[in-house]
Amino acid sequence: MPARRSFLVGLLSAGLAPRLSWADAGSPAFLSAARTPAGRYVLCGLSEAGSISFQIPIPDRGHAAAAHPTKPQAVAFARRPGTFALVVNCATGEVDQRLYAPEGRHFYGHGAFAEGGDILLTTENDYEAGRGMLGLWDARNGYARMGEITSGGVGPHDMKLMSDGRLAVANGGIETHPETGRTKLNLATMQPNLSYVSLDGVVSEVVELNPALRRNSIRHLAVDGRDRVGMAMQWQGDVADSVPLVAVHDARTGKLMLGAAQDQRSLLGYAGSIAMAGETVAVTSPKGGIAQTYSLEDFGLLNQVERPDICGVAAIGAEYVTTTGSGLFENHSGRPKRTQTRLNWDNHLVSLVS
Amino acid sequence: MRLAAAFIFLATPLAAQDVDGAVNEHILPGYSALAEETTLLADAACAAEDLKPAFSSAFDAWVRVSHLRFGPSEADDRAFALAFWPDPRGSTPKTLAALISDADPVVEDAAAFGTVSVAGRGFYALEFLLFDPQFAEQSSSPYLCTLTQAITRDIAANAAAIEAGWQNHAALMTAPGNDAYRTEEEAIRQLFTALATGLEFTSQARLGRPMGTFERPRPNRAEARRSDRSLRHVVLSLEATRALAGHIATRDDALDALFEKAISQAEALDDPVFANVATPQGRIRVEALQSSVEEIRRYLGGTVAPRLGIEAGFNALDGD
Repeated sequence: MPARRSFLVGLLSAGLAPRLSWADAGSPAFLSAARTPAGRYVLCGLSEAGSISFQIPIPDRGHAAAAHPTKPQAVAFARRPGTFALVVNCATGEVDQRLYAPEGRHFYGHGAFAEGGDILLTTENDYEAGRGMLGLWDARNGYARMGEITSGGVGPHDMKLMSDGRLAVANGGIETHPETGRTKLNLATMQPNLSYVSLDGVVSEVVELNPALRRNSIRHLAVDGRDRVGMAMQWQGDVADSVPLVAVHDARTGKLMLGAAQDQRSLLGYAGSIAMAGETVAVTSPKGGIAQTYSLEDFGLLNQVERPDICGVAAIGAEYVTTTGSGLFENHSGRPKRTQTRLNWDNHLVSLVS
Repeated sequence: MRLAAAFIFLATPLAAQDVDGAVNEHILPGYSALAEETTLLADAACAAEDLKPAFSSAFDAWVRVSHLRFGPSEADDRAFALAFWPDPRGSTPKTLAALISDADPVVEDAAAFGTVSVAGRGFYALEFLLFDPQFAEQSSSPYLCTLTQAITRDIAANAAAIEAGWQNHAALMTAPGNDAYRTEEEAIRQLFTALATGLEFTSQARLGRPMGTFERPRPNRAEARRSDRSLRHVVLSLEATRALAGHIATRDDALDALFEKAISQAEALDDPVFANVATPQGRIRVEALQSSVEEIRRYLGGTVAPRLGIEAGFNALDGD
């Protein structure tokens, strides 16, 4: 690897690479935000083995990032209720541009590219009205703001692109206002959903859990090549309640599968990240210090590992890679590989391999 | 063995936590007082002059347990039905106005009234009926009397159900190794979370809602401002969380001093509904109080939690 990287760097400095691709960015397989031992915040590219391809300073705690499908470019979002996002050139390690949420909006920390990378979408809060919005940005034109569409609910958090060009949006259902920080203003009446939204703002389908699970905030998503959407939930009711925290909605058949509550007790009401690989879905819980893998066939529990503060998870082939807040990177494919850093890996590990 | 136990006790005099004390001296008496006061409220006559004192005592009793949001309070949405606030979309007056304009007969049956939106039930709905001119001016109408009594009886029923639930829950919490609390650590973590979340609510909602921003203060968003109770709730909840903190971190004088400072600041405010947040001088004083509450939270997270062995990780700290 080092040899190949220096070869690429040589190519770059010699000006022999007219168009930068992901391979030029030191071939990162994943992106993750992190905190350094000095308390500063960074965005990192990581190889499949967990070595750091690049490390870019960012001004505040990051959350997730959206990787451009073809260019070595990622948009990294501040943790909610952030108002800035950084367009990062992952080949040069430079911040190409800063995006700011328009007046009256803040970002939630996730975004997605659509239209082959031409359009960036961001989950946003119209906080005076308490409405979830998706901001549209023109990636071909310096990320100019193009407009906004409804998210289909309140408190949109994660969002994923479907094969038909629609966006699957996790509307967590929780209303917040920047004046009161992260205080949840509507727990009594919250109504989370999974919405499928087209770029023209049409909400073509809204999936809700059964009414007894109305306090299950649908927060993070994964989608596989067959348009099955994995949902990771955060329970806002009593922590001792036994509720499913993982569900999979098959967007093609409309079938909704819920995990077994008793298997998910050890997640302590909080599924932090989700990924799908092959015929499995993986979730993590930093509160419970546990990662679990389930079969998509019958939602049987296949495997679990216990690691303090585990949260980031991404697919690699039919297996998974996980990261923890205490700096551990683990590639669980083949012979397990572990890399311990002094960084605190943040909630999400963003895969660039798909 | 006895020697080893004694040694551990001596070696960690500050790390004590007292789940039994928290349950038996704080939680059970708190919910018992709520049940008693709300029974008196439900028995009060419809006239505002009879209801208001009972409302005040019962609401006090609620605020003193309002941080204890787990177990029986969460079953069947009881706590939400008792206390629907904040209400950013104004759902409480809308729900009440709809009931009144339809003269909805749902108020005549206690079980049916339990199906009404939580926005139209509980202490904050009752406050609207008793203190907001929109409703208080029609207080002589028979429908309003029936609605008021439906609300007070619903409050009493929910308070009684929470108290009854705690008879069993107390045993689960004080003798872990069950489905609710698998270990003592889970019981302590639950109490710690209740304490930290209660303080966060006081700081971010009870103080933060009326503060708004410097450019745009929002005194009209103060909690229970119609009954002049906004500051009172801050003081009561600080006193109650101080009592719980005394069981989670016994003999922690530094922690107690932080509560003392915040409560003194609150008591010195002389601004019952935070009307002064609209002036720079008034705002600075509320900001100082909020900073003091935040200081308690930081101490809990940075000093108490690690001592209890329940320090939150980088990603486990708060939901995202």
